[in-house]
Amino acid sequence: MSVLDRLPSDHATQAFLAGAICLALGVLFAVTPLRAQLPNALYVFIEVGTLFVIYGLLVLGLDLQYGHTGLVNFGHVVFFAVGAYTTAMLSAQETFAGIGLGYPWPLALVAGVIVTAIVGAGVGVTSIRLRGDFLAIVTLATAEIFHSLFVNFEDIFGGNVGILGVPQPIAEVATNGDTRMVATLLVLGGITLVTLAGITRLTEAPYGRVLRAIRADELVTRSVGKSTLTYKMQSFVYGAALAGLAGGLFALYNGAVAPGFFTIQVTVTIWIGMLLGGAANHRAVLAGLAIIMGLRLASRFALDATPVGADVFASLRLIVVGLILVAVIRYRPAGIWGNEQELGVDS
Amino acid sequence: MGLSQNVVFGLVTGSYIAIAAIGFTLIYGIVNMINFAYGEYLTIGAFLGLLAVTMLPVPLPVAVLLAMAGGGLVSLALARGFFTPINQTGPVPLLLTSIGLGIALRSAIRLVAGRSARYYDTETVTYRFDSLPDLSVGSVDLLGGFFVTSEHLIVIGTAVAVFVVLHALLTRTDVGIAMRAMGDDESLARVRGIDTQLIRDSVWVLAGVLAGLAGVLMAIQTNVSSDTGFSHILQILSAAILGGAGSPYGAILGAYVIGLVLALSTAFLPSGMTGLSSAVAFVILVAVLLVKPSGIAGKEVREA
Repeated sequence: MSVLDRLPSDHATQAFLAGAICLALGVLFAVTPLRAQLPNALYVFIEVGTLFVIYGLLVLGLDLQYGHTGLVNFGHVVFFAVGAYTTAMLSAQETFAGIGLGYPWPLALVAGVIVTAIVGAGVGVTSIRLRGDFLAIVTLATAEIFHSLFVNFEDIFGGNVGILGVPQPIAEVATNGDTRMVATLLVLGGITLVTLAGITRLTEAPYGRVLRAIRADELVTRSVGKSTLTYKMQSFVYGAALAGLAGGLFALYNGAVAPGFFTIQVTVTIWIGMLLGGAANHRAVLAGLAIIMGLRLASRFALDATPVGADVFASLRLIVVGLILVAVIRYRPAGIWGNEQELGVDS
Repeated sequence: MGLSQNVVFGLVTGSYIAIAAIGFTLIYGIVNMINFAYGEYLTIGAFLGLLAVTMLPVPLPVAVLLAMAGGGLVSLALARGFFTPINQTGPVPLLLTSIGLGIALRSAIRLVAGRSARYYDTETVTYRFDSLPDLSVGSVDLLGGFFVTSEHLIVIGTAVAVFVVLHALLTRTDVGIAMRAMGDDESLARVRGIDTQLIRDSVWVLAGVLAGLAGVLMAIQTNVSSDTGFSHILQILSAAILGGAGSPYGAILGAYVIGLVLALSTAFLPSGMTGLSSAVAFVILVAVLLVKPSGIAGKEVREA
């Protein structure tokens, strides 16, 4: 019997084990004198990779809302931002403008998730009954409202500068820059993998089947006695809370939050990643997101290799991104790895 | 600057928002989609008009006609290329497609036109319309003092003309009556022998023409950059929803409410927070959808 045969066969346990290993390795790097040494060329990979695992939490939450329950949330970035701002405001030590209360970061992170869940419940309870495209519009407008609140209430949110001086727990214990980057990627990646495991368990359970039934046909689901509104609310709030967690982690990784990190671009990136990979399939949405983030990475390298300006490249990349979204919906509506039948009623 | 000046600004803003919102709401009512790329049609119209004024050069009224024609063509071409093929898939894929198309269009415009804002030479504009008297009023104490420029009058006057023409179109012509019939009940319209595809195409052209016009008016008033349309799409959307999605008359009413609220909110918001005025339109949008999603005169949008 080889080692391979002893590995657990179900995805959730695999993801949980991988996540636990990543977390352990990350902590090991951070707290022991063990040091990582990276060639300079790898920095950009680690940087984009770290952003990828944070966005991974976002896409998992969004997929719970849209892929499983059919809720068209086009303001996902607002939950990301609320989590980040709450965590930053509670934990920032000294800040140039805006509120920094200097509480311990674990408390701030937990509060970030809770506050985001409450905001998610607020948005959900008011708008979840709306038809799909109108729900998208309301959530999008909500995101814009929050964005302008963050920009305009300078005394509270720090305006365009945002909130600085957020503690960076891993950076504080890691011995040098390279080690810090590796440890951050491992710890955040571990958290995303453990989340993947949890979400997989949730959606493989009968609970997830109800969610997919709501997506497929809400009326039928209601007629068999399920309170579809309750399920939709729960799914929406879970997704929001996950985005809040992602936001809190982002604030603690980045050491600062500012409105510029929370634009509609984030929402669009997450949505395209999800649709490209295949909604309702956790690993597929992560893979789709990886493709979109890979495109960002590739455009950075292409930028270095050619004489044209960054603006031209940014425009070209966005043209490609927009057309990918259009093409996926038209030619591959279930995504690359999605199962078209699964998007109907499943067993 | 008194309140009455804000009312003037509000009426001007409301005018071009109204023209755009009519096009937007017709698409919603008849093709049954929220076209998020619609703001980009305005940008395209504004740039086409600017090109015509500066490159050809032609007088502004001719440039406006060219922008309208260009807007109509772009709208029809994009509809045929991107929206008509997925017509049967429901509102959400259509919305997402329009978002993707909007991103691509906006980036393409930025690639060609650059990032900075361009201005219509208002000197030229007033020169072309120098028969209009200068209506600048120094200070009228009773109303708090306000001025009206000839550009203001052009924008408001054009909007009124559009409303009249549109009303005639919708009530007196076969195409207009067919559009209204389709908005009410598409399958019934088809049974009655209306060529629904032809009407859809007409709606796309009409909406594009209105977007081209609104884009030029907006640009005359302020400026045009690659983000012009996108930064106004939620206001257009708010106007359409407030009036009742699908109802052109409601859209006009909604647009003036949004325009006035935007302009007056800058007077009431504390200085340094005038940036919040854009959020006001979105708050209205959300509030209307939550309280009375059918708007003042529109279709039901709740599912259950």
